[in-house]
Amino acid sequence: MATSLSYYLREMARGEWLRKFLFVKTAPYETPPHFRDYPRLTGKECTHCLACMMICPTPGAIEVLKTENGWNPVIYPGHCIRCGLCVEACPEGVLMSGRILESQFYDNTGYASTFHITVDRVRCMRCGNCSVACPVNKEEDPQLAATGTGANDAVIMRVKGGELQILHEEKCTGCKTCEETCPNSAIRVARVVEAIHVPEEEG
Amino acid sequence: MKKTVDVSLPIGPLHPCFKEPARIRCETKGERVISAEMDLGYVKKGIERIMRGRPWQEVMFLAERICGICSVIHNMVCIETLEKISGVEVPERAAYLRVIVNELDRIQSHILANFSYCYTIEHETLAMYLLNLRETAMDMLELITGARVTCAYMVPGGVRFDLRDEDRITLEAALDHMDHELRRYVGMFEHGPLVAQRSKGVGIISREDVIEAHGVGPVARASGIPESDRRCEHPTYQKLGFTPLSYEEGDNYARVMIRFDEVFQSIDLIRRCLANMVPGTIRGGGAIKAGEATHAGEAPRGELTYYVKTDEYGRIVDITVRTPSIMNIESCAHYMLEGVSSAADVTSTFISADPCIACTER
Repeated sequence: MATSLSYYLREMARGEWLRKFLFVKTAPYETPPHFRDYPRLTGKECTHCLACMMICPTPGAIEVLKTENGWNPVIYPGHCIRCGLCVEACPEGVLMSGRILESQFYDNTGYASTFHITVDRVRCMRCGNCSVACPVNKEEDPQLAATGTGANDAVIMRVKGGELQILHEEKCTGCKTCEETCPNSAIRVARVVEAIHVPEEEG
Repeated sequence: MKKTVDVSLPIGPLHPCFKEPARIRCETKGERVISAEMDLGYVKKGIERIMRGRPWQEVMFLAERICGICSVIHNMVCIETLEKISGVEVPERAAYLRVIVNELDRIQSHILANFSYCYTIEHETLAMYLLNLRETAMDMLELITGARVTCAYMVPGGVRFDLRDEDRITLEAALDHMDHELRRYVGMFEHGPLVAQRSKGVGIISREDVIEAHGVGPVARASGIPESDRRCEHPTYQKLGFTPLSYEEGDNYARVMIRFDEVFQSIDLIRRCLANMVPGTIRGGGAIKAGEATHAGEAPRGELTYYVKTDEYGRIVDITVRTPSIMNIESCAHYMLEGVSSAADVTSTFISADPCIACTER
């Protein structure tokens, strides 16, 4: 008892202890540079490929919108969970968050996605809304988009012979416009994502 | 003579000792607890229902949001189940990185559990020391994965980020720091007379009772069942020469000490991983195929099991999660709390079983 009391008295009599007790403050908190924050724009040009929107796991967290400066992704912080998948998915390096963009080139990692369309034959009533609304179809066959009928087989899907046929699944960009326009929720787009080490060079 | 009245003593759902809402109904005689029963169901999320129909890149984020304390192991077991379904192989470097992040998560979870215990037995100084030390583990998690809690580190076929050489030096320094500091704190817990009196011989559960109650994790290992550790069956841990630890006493003291010992063991495992790691690829690729599988891993609280069924495009058709806390909570209520001599020991015994209500109710 006496020894511990004298220890404390001696400790407190030291000038350093008193100075620390009265004046030392906790260092202000700084966000470390490796913190995976909300994605920010790097200033590179967005090509409107929508890869960030397609891989985003949360509904309504990212949108690619047209402004005066062209297309640019917009992050909604209330919905974003800061997973950083959009940063990794972007082929142009438009977004950045923490060290993800840097380490992506450092590690040479990326994601390969493919899209698959499934049609529920029972629910589908062959209205063809999906093939008219599809933005890829509009580019492939302007006549289909304008009039609702077309005979071009380069489109993704088309009502042919009384059945909705998926002709070129590989052209699908996964925008899910067909899912939204289908009145019966018969068509579904599945995205299959693969985590790869060396990203495929396209073009 | 004073008349002893039998009282039904409710503790919770809101109580300063509980991190999450749960209610313990104790039948007491004076202050001695005769029997206890748990009431759960205050924070049901229904997360398994939300997961259905979604692809893995959405489910993986939902899975780690089941539990806020042991989020990495949820991510790991979910991804390993998907890999088991589709036969995806993990590169060696990625397997070691997974173990490093998982063990860092175990360190912070165990230290947090022991913090709550020390806080519950009113040893706030030691509790705050431990909480301060936990920040080192959290900072290391942030350094490697970019986030403190919801790391989202593992993907099918590998991990998301590599460990850089400069980060490796920081990690090694942090491990040395944690090792050194924790030895001091364990000494305080082990030899402090007050701490030992509050903990030794309180809330005893025997080996037979643990088996009867299906206790898992540190609760089972504190009662002498080392083989309950699922890490023994994990190939990477086998490669690292992992041997589980155990205590025989089965009281609060043993349950806290086994967690301290496992922190030292985790630090040792991370060091062994860093020594064994060679540069290489960190992602092997591989798409998720159709199928169903059950897979179990060792969470900080015990055995965590996922049952997953997928369709041909890798969407989750059905998923069931079994988390460890439900067994530990029940074994706490039915075996440990029986005969506890005061109401203050009820909360400390309950916290020593390390209940995670968010996991339990999902």
